[in-house]
Amino acid sequence: MVTYLVGALNGLAMGSLLFAIALGLSLVFGMMDVLNLAHGAVYLVGAYVAVALAGDGASPAAFVLAVPAAAGAGAVLGGVLAGLSRATPHHLDQALLTLGVSLVVAELLSVFFGNDVHSVAAPAPVAGSVTVFGESYPVYRLLVIGFGVVLAVGVYALVERSRLGSLIRATVADRGMVSALGVHTGRVLVGVFAAGAGLAAVGGVLAGPILGAAPGLDEKVLLLALVVVVIGGLGSVRGALLGAVLIGQVQALGTTLLPEYASFLVFAAMALVLLLRPAGLLPARTAVHA
Amino acid sequence: MSAAERTQAVDGIRPRRTAGKAVVAVAVLLLLAAAPLVLGAYPVSTMTRILAFAVLVLSVDLLTGVTGLPTLGQAAYFGAGAYTAALVGIHLTSDASVQLLAGLVAGLVTAALTGWVAVRARGVVFLMLTLAIGESVHQVADTWSVVGASNGLAGMPPITLFGGPPLLAAGFVYWWVLAAAVVVFAAVALVVRSPYGRTLRGIRDNEARMRALGYRPALARYGVFCLAGAVAGTGGALWAAHARFVSPGDLGFEVAALALLSVVIGGAGSLWGPCLGAALVLLVRDNLSAAVGGHGPLVLGLVFVAVVFLLPRGVAGLAAGIRRRKEGLS
Amino acid sequence: MPVLPVDPRRLRSGTTVLALAAAAALALSGCAGSSLDQSGGGQAGDAVKIGLLVPLSGVYAPLGEDMRNGFQLYLDQHGGKLGGRTTEVVTGDEGEGPQTGVPAAQKLVTQDQATAVVGVVNSATALGLRDFFHESKKPLLVANAGADDITAARKSEYVWRTSFSNGKVGAPLGAAVAKEVEGGVYLIAADYAAGREMVAGFRRTFEAAGGKVAGEEYTPFGKTQDFQPFLSAIRGTDAKAVYAFYAGAEAVSFVKQYRQFGLADSTPLYGAGFLTEGGVLDAQGDAAAGVKTALHYSSELDTPRNKEFVDAYRKAYDEAPTVYAVQAYDSAAVLDKALADAPGGTGEEVAKALAGVGPIDSPRGRWSFDADHDAQQKYYLREVRDSGGTMVNAVVSELS
Repeated sequence: MVTYLVGALNGLAMGSLLFAIALGLSLVFGMMDVLNLAHGAVYLVGAYVAVALAGDGASPAAFVLAVPAAAGAGAVLGGVLAGLSRATPHHLDQALLTLGVSLVVAELLSVFFGNDVHSVAAPAPVAGSVTVFGESYPVYRLLVIGFGVVLAVGVYALVERSRLGSLIRATVADRGMVSALGVHTGRVLVGVFAAGAGLAAVGGVLAGPILGAAPGLDEKVLLLALVVVVIGGLGSVRGALLGAVLIGQVQALGTTLLPEYASFLVFAAMALVLLLRPAGLLPARTAVHA
Repeated sequence: MSAAERTQAVDGIRPRRTAGKAVVAVAVLLLLAAAPLVLGAYPVSTMTRILAFAVLVLSVDLLTGVTGLPTLGQAAYFGAGAYTAALVGIHLTSDASVQLLAGLVAGLVTAALTGWVAVRARGVVFLMLTLAIGESVHQVADTWSVVGASNGLAGMPPITLFGGPPLLAAGFVYWWVLAAAVVVFAAVALVVRSPYGRTLRGIRDNEARMRALGYRPALARYGVFCLAGAVAGTGGALWAAHARFVSPGDLGFEVAALALLSVVIGGAGSLWGPCLGAALVLLVRDNLSAAVGGHGPLVLGLVFVAVVFLLPRGVAGLAAGIRRRKEGLS
Repeated sequence: MPVLPVDPRRLRSGTTVLALAAAAALALSGCAGSSLDQSGGGQAGDAVKIGLLVPLSGVYAPLGEDMRNGFQLYLDQHGGKLGGRTTEVVTGDEGEGPQTGVPAAQKLVTQDQATAVVGVVNSATALGLRDFFHESKKPLLVANAGADDITAARKSEYVWRTSFSNGKVGAPLGAAVAKEVEGGVYLIAADYAAGREMVAGFRRTFEAAGGKVAGEEYTPFGKTQDFQPFLSAIRGTDAKAVYAFYAGAEAVSFVKQYRQFGLADSTPLYGAGFLTEGGVLDAQGDAAAGVKTALHYSSELDTPRNKEFVDAYRKAYDEAPTVYAVQAYDSAAVLDKALADAPGGTGEEVAKALAGVGPIDSPRGRWSFDADHDAQQKYYLREVRDSGGTMVNAVVSELS
């Protein structure tokens, strides 16, 4: 029983990270219909920022500093991607474009940082373990769960309660109409793209002490984020949250329960959800287009 | 030029153009057929791989270009065909035509068994469902000891044809693969031009209207999914005939993604464009990487970005653009 | 005016593109000869061309770099000559698997006309290449790939292995762990052929020596980043120790999380040497302290031959050598001997000469090819210890 409780707790930690990473992917798709396949590469940029600034776990300050640095780098990359992907209206072309950018970014990272696996130490004060349900559990992961909760509340307040949020939701629902009202939708789109990418890069820093940084990690993370977004419903904040928590649990608790089928679990869960609800669990409420 | 005049001009050109097309098609075929006479073993085996991969790409195009369903799952059926052909080669017969048929059936059956899950969806959801199918089949290949698990299935003897001697030299295998690929290409072209092909394009462009007209889009989609599976399975059998070795990577995500990208690069919906896309993608991946110090992915990424900006609508789109400009001049 | 036989305006431009592309492809790859026979040329005279097939891109690229360095070091130490001949090295990119590795090897042999090919990290690639080298009558020196079949069920007179086979890496530790550990041992590995072969090798000797298996689990290969569920399961058993096989990023995650979740303090971790080898150990850092592994090499091996090698390697590349570097270094040494015995320089001659190279005086200790063309060598018990601020694989003892 205790094993399952710790598994569920761990699922929450992974879910928090997945939420930070998948949110931008979901909003960008909802708003611009762009499937940003470079999202995993943006995450990896964040992870390597953490390696560069706080790789040896020297000081908590360096780790804290890595967060805004990664957010900035991610946002710039997101802005560039937003500009590039507006050059073509076709979905497949956009997918090709963003995949091309992701290959280039990932290759440049491996040129600068080498192909070795890098790890990031958790900042010293939270590097230890505490006893949870009678098992020792890393403090840092508990901190990540806290971050996930704060992020979820913050994003909810921003998107669902603020004026900027209503603008974002309206742009997701009907970009043409918002544009006709005299709002410069282009700026909203670039802004959301940049913010979402920044958040993914921050996810890369925060996941650093758990997943490290290595070539190929971008694809794994992108795949998981895509699954989260599709399960949750494209363009929906609450959907991304639910999807992230669900996939976190499937990976942690599901693996505890059915270790033999661990490698099929995520995709089986996705197929099941999509068969029952093709639009995802919580599709964007305001979406009017089919 | 008014629309009516334009139609007339296009119609006036058509007979001449068809003749020209036939001439070029024959010329291309002759060039392709003559390749083993002048080229060494490596270029010829590269071309063999490209042809087998192009058959997979055709199957992706059938779904993505013609029917409007972007897929990441075709590598699964390609792999099913390849593994089946290799198993037939190892345990039953080295006759390539039997292996081809086995691969075709394997692709068809696997697609029929898994396709009903996917064809209910469209767009990104279809893409993700096919990805899920592809990854699951890949996982099976990666862990199932009957097909060699992650070590792959090796030990397939060289193919034979119609009771002849084993085809060891690259050139003879190439001719077999070329002949089979041409037949598949012609068959797919026939399907695309048939009333069924028009139905598929109708579903792609306006599903609601097709339904109103009395068509059954779900059934038509399931049909083309099975057909595409058969084509991919054939491609897999051709791949196995050349490589004589199948490993889980052959039905992995990377192969599926490269096949989809070849379609986009070539121009979705055109048949010959994606074949060129297939050639470009494989040449960059296999031949360039060592030359640029292992930075093949960098080059591939730059090619992808460049294609979007320089060749919107793919290679076929470029050709169509030139054609339109010429027609405007004449 | 008409240069082309067909009026270009009549052509559908699309097909023109296709025709031009086909023509260009033919022109570009225009090397002499046809592909209708099978023979590859041999090289006589005082020059020889060797193909080096290592991963330059993808997740195995760090191994590829070490192997390239090791091979190059041997060449540099011997005036760029193998078997008395000036050696030209042609490098191919193996990539992550057979999809890229097999064509790259074919290019080295048929296009670049290499006399022999050295390298291959991935087992599937090595198995997929076996028939090609066997039929082309060119030697392949496998300098890493560990699948048991390469030198067992699918052995060939043209395929020789200078590295190891998975089962033989797992086996030597079995008896030692059975003696050291009182109680059950939990077995865990990545779910692919290498993982299962390593564990099977360990299990055989471990159980033969009276050891008891407390549990066995295989984790999704290349997909597992979080080992918590598996570590929790280990805790749920009464295992007194764990035997693990992972490599690359998974090895880093596993060893780090093994400590984070508090298992390292209570349950000793044993493994195949790849668990803590090279760049992987750098990334694990302190977390790996105390992990005991078995391997056929450690840079800490205290022999004059190894000291001399480590110094030379450090001087050339500013880092400690890894087992991968040694395997490639030894491949060069093997070729050096074999080429000296192959006056015509053909693949057949080199393959025959390989059978007679005798023992190799390697940094890892003396070793030689066994009847199956696999490396017959000593294995060492190593323990990760802190040595002046960096973690190293200190050699504890020799395993029999």
